[in-house]
Amino acid sequence: MIKSYKFRRRIANFFIYILLAILGIIWISPFVYLVLHSFRQESMTTVPYLIPHEWTLNNYIELFNVSGSSSINFPRWFLNTLVVAIFSCMISTISVLAVSYTFSRLRFGARKKLMNVAMILGMFPGFMTMIAIYYLLKAMGLNQNLIALVICYSSGAGLGFQISKGFFDTIPRALDEAATIDGATKNQIFWRIILPMSKPIVVYTVLTSFIGPWCDFILAKIIMGDKRELYTVAIGLQSMVSAEFINSYYKQFLAGSVLVAIPITTLFLIMQRYYVEGVTAGGVKG
Amino acid sequence: MTYVEYKMLNPFQRFAYNFKRVLVSVPRAVGNFFKAIGKGIAKFFIGIVKGFKNYGVTFAKGDWATKLSYLIFGAGDLHKGKYYKGILFFLTEVLYILYITMFGWGYISKFGTLGTVETSMQKVNGIPKPVLGDNSMLILLYSVLTIVVTVVVFAIYIANIKDAYKHQVMKANGEKPTSLRTDIKEFLDGKYHITLLSFPVLMICVFNILPLLFMILIAFTNYDKQHMPPGTLFTWVGMENFKDLFNLVEGAKKGKTFVELTGWTLLWAVLATFTNYILGMIVALMINKKGIKFKGLWRTLFVIAIAVPQFVSLLLMNQMLQVNGAINVLLTQISHMFGGTETIEIQFLNSTTLMARATVVIVNIWVGIPYTILSMSGILMNIPEDLYESARIDGASPVKTFTAITLPYMIFVTTPQLITTFVGNINNFNVIYLLTGGGPSTEQYYQAGRTDILVTWLFKLSMDTQDYGLAAAIGILVFIVCATISLIVYNNSKSMKDEEAFS
Amino acid sequence: MKKIIAVLMAGMMTASVFAGCGGSGGSSGSSGSSASDTQSSADDGGAQVKDANLVDVSMFGEEDNISLKVWCAHKATGLVEKQIEEFKKAYPEKKFENIEVVAVGEGDAGTQMLNDASTAADVFSFASDQLNKLVGAKVIAPVAFTKAVTEMNAETTVEAGTLDGTLYAYPQTNDNGYYLVYDKSVVSEDKTGKLEDILAACKDAGKKFIFDSGNGFYSCTYAFTAGVKINGLEKDGVTQKFTEYDEEEAVKTLQAFSKLMHDYSGTYTSLDVAQIASGFSTGTLGAGIDGSWNTAADKDALKDNFGAAKLPTINVDGTDKQLVSLFGYKYIGVNAASKFPASAQILAYYLAGETCQQQRAEELGWGPSNKNVQQMDVVTKSDIQQAIKAQSENACVQVNIATTFWDPMANLGNKLIADKTDPSDADYFKKLLQETIANIRDEG
Repeated sequence: MIKSYKFRRRIANFFIYILLAILGIIWISPFVYLVLHSFRQESMTTVPYLIPHEWTLNNYIELFNVSGSSSINFPRWFLNTLVVAIFSCMISTISVLAVSYTFSRLRFGARKKLMNVAMILGMFPGFMTMIAIYYLLKAMGLNQNLIALVICYSSGAGLGFQISKGFFDTIPRALDEAATIDGATKNQIFWRIILPMSKPIVVYTVLTSFIGPWCDFILAKIIMGDKRELYTVAIGLQSMVSAEFINSYYKQFLAGSVLVAIPITTLFLIMQRYYVEGVTAGGVKG
Repeated sequence: MTYVEYKMLNPFQRFAYNFKRVLVSVPRAVGNFFKAIGKGIAKFFIGIVKGFKNYGVTFAKGDWATKLSYLIFGAGDLHKGKYYKGILFFLTEVLYILYITMFGWGYISKFGTLGTVETSMQKVNGIPKPVLGDNSMLILLYSVLTIVVTVVVFAIYIANIKDAYKHQVMKANGEKPTSLRTDIKEFLDGKYHITLLSFPVLMICVFNILPLLFMILIAFTNYDKQHMPPGTLFTWVGMENFKDLFNLVEGAKKGKTFVELTGWTLLWAVLATFTNYILGMIVALMINKKGIKFKGLWRTLFVIAIAVPQFVSLLLMNQMLQVNGAINVLLTQISHMFGGTETIEIQFLNSTTLMARATVVIVNIWVGIPYTILSMSGILMNIPEDLYESARIDGASPVKTFTAITLPYMIFVTTPQLITTFVGNINNFNVIYLLTGGGPSTEQYYQAGRTDILVTWLFKLSMDTQDYGLAAAIGILVFIVCATISLIVYNNSKSMKDEEAFS
Repeated sequence: MKKIIAVLMAGMMTASVFAGCGGSGGSSGSSGSSASDTQSSADDGGAQVKDANLVDVSMFGEEDNISLKVWCAHKATGLVEKQIEEFKKAYPEKKFENIEVVAVGEGDAGTQMLNDASTAADVFSFASDQLNKLVGAKVIAPVAFTKAVTEMNAETTVEAGTLDGTLYAYPQTNDNGYYLVYDKSVVSEDKTGKLEDILAACKDAGKKFIFDSGNGFYSCTYAFTAGVKINGLEKDGVTQKFTEYDEEEAVKTLQAFSKLMHDYSGTYTSLDVAQIASGFSTGTLGAGIDGSWNTAADKDALKDNFGAAKLPTINVDGTDKQLVSLFGYKYIGVNAASKFPASAQILAYYLAGETCQQQRAEELGWGPSNKNVQQMDVVTKSDIQQAIKAQSENACVQVNIATTFWDPMANLGNKLIADKTDPSDADYFKKLLQETIANIRDEG
């Protein structure tokens, strides 16, 4: 009885391995294709075969070989994105943690009302306001400016408090009470007790807000317009596959995509554990 | 159904039961939604009436300095020795008056018409030069700004009166006003929420609420490429944009487009949400099954798909799905292996509606499943071990353990997430925009294609054809759809949560 | 032979060619002077110029320390930068702080202008189809040197740049269209005249023929060839007008197309034009209908085997009918909100002037709109230029086109090529045609 059960389980596991392997290949092969073709020598655009015939590093080299006032300036775009990501990540993280801690631990009159307002604001489609935001930033003299991007990416961060609030909710209240009895202020509780215990959610918040600027290709395009040297990698790469550029830059687009994907993926894999912890703890109760 | 009866159902029946209850409660929830809105409005007016009453009462009871605060901000506080606050109040008033006279009034006085003088061209020395007229856009934007500023200043005004009266009462009781240092301390403890919230709330007010009010107002104007500042003016048109969207007369394209796109948006949201949920759960269960090795490796394979920025993976997918893209090449090579000679050229994205929509849903599975796997894996690891322990002691089979413990737990825990995902999918811009760009195009829709959902349509209307008024109206309607769904579920999920708490 | 065509061209650009296609301002197209006639009633012919490139320095007026932004196609940025250096030298009296050149494609410029004119370029290149919305939103300033520009450039290009009697843009090229490109090793030169021959040659060689029938820009050729040609807009400014046409004849033409698509199914394919260059490079393609802006890529792919010709004819009931395409021009416009309006006009005049057009023709292969440049060797001796020019004689002008035009035309193309369509079902095509027209003329 036991033997046959074990045998059955082994058979089942065998099939699961096969299935997982197939799925794994399906999920990963587009990226393998991306990497392979970023080293392709021949043809300007697509080719009717899967494995490149001749290999080269030229696509990468050309990406960094920027002449004077070239329209394609990948290193500059990369730097822009990095700077914007760092600053907006700092501001966003502070906002998110402040708001979620407030709603989770502090009690005050307008708490419920503010949370409802935040929920309602979150339900308007984001693109609706992009025109207004553009003119607002322009009125402030910030259009075609990296500061505008930092503002855009971090201004609404406070509205995304749900997941980290869920996480804070799981920390026992008894801790706060004990600390209050010991004479700690709310400020001290936040910095000295709650935050050190919240590594997963802090990392999760940092990670998500750092990645945001690398992926947005809407707001950045609207704000930067024709100012190509201030593009971020996302709109830069997207412009490389537009009708204007695709014929001469398709392979460089592939190479650029690889270069963007590498740091983000590495970061993500390192932080994966925190991400899972943060998203489950926050998601379950939120 | 009693609690005991409910407990005796198998998880699927429970799910079906809950699901049915949600559906049944839709009309009631919609009713509640409007009732709540009504209540809110009533409360608001009662608050205003109360406020006015207090306003009068305080004035009657106040001493001369408190009474002066009704005209000059901070007078009461200054008189009672609360200097820093008094000065701040006073500065607010001065700045506000300066703002209105120097800037705000010029715009808000034209708010009713949004400008009357058009920009014209005049030839000077043979060169056409513009003679600038009114700019409707700026008039509207700065009017909204002025209104927001006025509301904030009004709140400060009320706070100033309250504060003056408070200090008057304190003085009467022989108390001294608190010092700046004590106040700062208070902001780090009792009023810590104000400290923490002020910065995020300020940002949200300026960059979320202000633009939102502006766009809501735009929905009631004829702002489009024929009425575009600075060259031309736009003005109020009332409900015209909404009428266009609900105009279902034969041949009215905007109405037809709106109705059909709404249908597809909802269908898309349902398909995208449930395919990802179910398939993601299956894969997560496989990875987390006891006895499966290399769990980290399997998960990493899927996680890479999330980690690569979405625009990269979607643009890549778009290229691969082209007629001569990698997928067709692969299919051709496979068919050649089996003796085929034809070159396979399937038009995934640009032929029939069904094909394009199916492709979008399938690619979305590829994009979305890793997220489900990630969060499900966490939940699976979090199932309290003692539940399994007791099941083992009771001698339950693995199948039984799964249906009695794992599945109900998962469904219970992930229901709220499911809803957020659903609303998220209604607004899932990236997949549609980057993959098909809305195509295949059709002559029957107004500026939209067969796979366009409402938000991508909104985007196209504002970026490609400059139909800003119409786009804003669509934005409002999308909001109403999302808000109603969330509210219904929010009302129900609470009861679902309380029913059988696992912890 | 080519020379003769060229000479004829220069003389009778408008004459018979655009008849029936209509132009702007309601001119019938048969009177060559209609454009300038309407203008003189609107203004005095514009400011004075010095020659075909320059104006008197006094035209700058008070403007000094000039800074301007110029939008042009990515491929042209290098050349335009050089030309601007020359421009600066030509006006030594003036100080130029900064003239910036930014790559914004001609197809995109109009939309970007509308999105925010005040940060957009002062001087910008754009394709003729965007003129309408630019004028409607009043973001484009009228041309200052009307008389000179009108005299210098081919009348069709001037006419298409004129709305309600006012010339709004400086003509820059006369080449924004599509034509036949082919692999000489597959289709021999003498067979390029007839669509039937081309398809047969491609089929024999086992190669494809690409005609993007799912894109209104190309597939409107089917309707135009059938005699259903555009003729400006109705008075409301949004509804498309069409010329009178013989419905029976039109249906027969559509049937002829459909029959070819079915007879050569597998050869006659509808793909994006971006696939043409890659099709040539991988040897799967025999011929295609491609846009003039892809010429360089096609030539790269085919090297010596590259051939270009005007669109072929199609046999309808025994008579060969010339395919009629959509044809546009590129213009240089001046932003109405420019801070240096005079300098912007003068720079636009220079960039659209004779010297600059000649340089673009030589270095980029762009077909000039300037009458003198059209007579130069660079144009008369180039196969491609001649093919484009020949096609421009058989085309409708891409101006005054309703926004509702494209999707129904794409639908027409898609329906023609669809497998389930029966080429002999005349009623079906009659209905399809009527629906297409109805959809185009719909409210929008």
